[in-house]
Amino acid sequence: MSDGATPLPKPSSSVKLVLLGEAAVGKAPNMTQSSLVMRFVNNDFQDNKEPTIGAAFLTQKCTLPTRTIKFEIWDTAGQERFASLAPMYYRNAQAALVVYDITKPASLIKAQHWVAELQRQASPGIVIALVGNKLDLVASAGSDGEEVEGEDARGVPAAQARSYAEEEGLLFFETSAKTGERVAEVFTAIAGAIPETQLKGPRGGQRVEERRVE
Amino acid sequence: MESLHNTEWDVLIAGTGLPQSLLALALSRSGKRVLHVDKNDYYGGPQAVLSTQEAEAWVMNTNAGTSLFSDAALSIPTPNPSHGSPKLSFPRAYSLALAPQLIYTQSGLLSYLLSSKVYRQLEFLAMGSWWIYSPQALNLEAPSGSPPSPGQLIRIPATREDVAFSDTGIDLRSKRAVMKVLRFVMDYENQAEVWQPYSSKPLSDLLTHCLKLPSSLHSLFLALTLTLDKPQRTTTSYALPRIARHLRSMGRLGAGFSAVIPKWGGMSELTQVACRAGAVGGGVYVLGKGITTLSTEAESTSVLLGNHDTIRTKWIVGAPDDLGPCTGCPVSSSVAAEITSRSIAIVSSSLESLFPTTFEGSPKPAGAVVVFPVGSLGQSQHLQDNPVYLLVHSSDTGECPVGQSIIYGFCCGESQGLLESAIATLLTAVNEPSTPHILWSLQFKQHHPTDSNQATSQNFAEATQVLSFPPPSSDLVFDDSILDSVKSVWERITESDADRGDFLVFGERGALGEEYDEA
Repeated sequence: MSDGATPLPKPSSSVKLVLLGEAAVGKAPNMTQSSLVMRFVNNDFQDNKEPTIGAAFLTQKCTLPTRTIKFEIWDTAGQERFASLAPMYYRNAQAALVVYDITKPASLIKAQHWVAELQRQASPGIVIALVGNKLDLVASAGSDGEEVEGEDARGVPAAQARSYAEEEGLLFFETSAKTGERVAEVFTAIAGAIPETQLKGPRGGQRVEERRVE
Repeated sequence: MESLHNTEWDVLIAGTGLPQSLLALALSRSGKRVLHVDKNDYYGGPQAVLSTQEAEAWVMNTNAGTSLFSDAALSIPTPNPSHGSPKLSFPRAYSLALAPQLIYTQSGLLSYLLSSKVYRQLEFLAMGSWWIYSPQALNLEAPSGSPPSPGQLIRIPATREDVAFSDTGIDLRSKRAVMKVLRFVMDYENQAEVWQPYSSKPLSDLLTHCLKLPSSLHSLFLALTLTLDKPQRTTTSYALPRIARHLRSMGRLGAGFSAVIPKWGGMSELTQVACRAGAVGGGVYVLGKGITTLSTEAESTSVLLGNHDTIRTKWIVGAPDDLGPCTGCPVSSSVAAEITSRSIAIVSSSLESLFPTTFEGSPKPAGAVVVFPVGSLGQSQHLQDNPVYLLVHSSDTGECPVGQSIIYGFCCGESQGLLESAIATLLTAVNEPSTPHILWSLQFKQHHPTDSNQATSQNFAEATQVLSFPPPSSDLVFDDSILDSVKSVWERITESDADRGDFLVFGERGALGEEYDEA
């Protein structure tokens, strides 16, 4: 029995990840955070493609060497527009992606507001990643997102955002949803940063209603 | 922030209480332009959930305005100096429910949550035992010479197996009588000839004369009705379906429980999930903005929201509390209003003994019902002519930190004193090593007009229809008639849509990721 036994499947856990950030980052207005997610979920970015409207959340697996993380990715559904995000949005979120537009300094301010809101409302152990998007609009960016002096559309120096992220204990990345640059890395890093102890089974919690309702 | 001024909508939903939120869910895939507002800066209206800090603001607002609630008062006893006893935690550690109702497993609500696909965002917990407080032992054949027993909590057996095998402090002869009633109620529709003559008489008459149940055991069955009314006003025709609902719900979704409660503060979580579905479907959500005035010019009605935004809409739907300016009659002016005394208490103990797992393999209960029948609180200085109900929620509900629990009290009429004495009695009767105490409590009154529980409608000019949901009842149980009134409003609004589909039945959204696999 001990010889040639099939290896046990990797432990798999669901992680609720919430999206927050400046509404116009990405592509379609108000659907911005989705673009990064679409790239991650779909590995496909088309300029004029409508993002999915109406799914409560999207799911995507992320395979790490020791475990598989299944992200349940929630967007705000526009409820942030009039400050009407419900507490249930933050509830049990183990990870958050706060997106800003590296060409617009105001979007970083907004992102900082969302980070503060997460620190106030979300579970204490939540993993927050600050992500500056639209790296493709920035000319001659270094491979690790370090800017190179020159005329380009960059409005937020990477160093400034990074030092803010370090202060607050956030993961930090610059990405391009358009080219896909570093998008997968963001999710892999989030998956890796979630403490083992925080992970529950695939469907955490007791959900009696799912057992049998005809 | 964006402006709503001069926008046009198909439906304006006022208030994020349960019926409005379910309507938003029902309309979420209708393609209608829905604007959903709430005058409060939180979701849920009368079904909201409050942190202890939010409760302070709620008390001030409740006492300052006219609403369904009044006479709110907080009391925070000076902390017990004794070492190691739990203390009140930080405000956001608490999610106190204004509507901690339980949902029977046969309720249509659960089917709709399933068919509308929102159940995945909700967690439900099992209600556990029903307890009844008895100032003396219930046994008919108490051994002679035994000392008078102090007040005790008796677990109500709700299945025949439970009656037969469990040690609930009921003697054998009484057990047989209880079994007989259980058998009868499970099949009461087919035995109309037995109960019809007692239809409009108190249930007790039926129990005594037909089912030969000793009167000391009547309270076991009255407790299962969860009615706040006096026993003499609890008629057979009202009580039988409610007891049957309890018995038939037992085991339907799993062993050992008949009802569930949503995690994180009762019905509030449902309103938030339903509103999110509305938003995902394209509805626009605005908190902290209610209907200020309605003005009609020629054929068109315009609605002023808050102080600045004038909008136009074909339909306005809300509860009376949110539609004030539209209907011109605030709820609390209703003469026929009845009052329920309510309380919410944070307790310094998990009250573990109230949450036993009574069936092998059943989920750990997170809630319990404790009933103080009429007269059981006799020693107190207040006369008790209405039953007192306490809903006890464990920390598994997410409503309080581990090691504490929440007691929600309900009693008809001006009964704050009775609620207090019931809670004090419970805390003594649970027999914890050190008597648990109250860390924080909130008392208030809930008004509920007794008239219509139908949705009503009113025309404003040609262009705008105002539809009103009935005000919320103070029932301890989710009332399925809410589903009917939401459905009737949904039907009217979508009347001309050929492809409106079935009420609250939605297909899967095309998920981009992998298929959602059920565990």
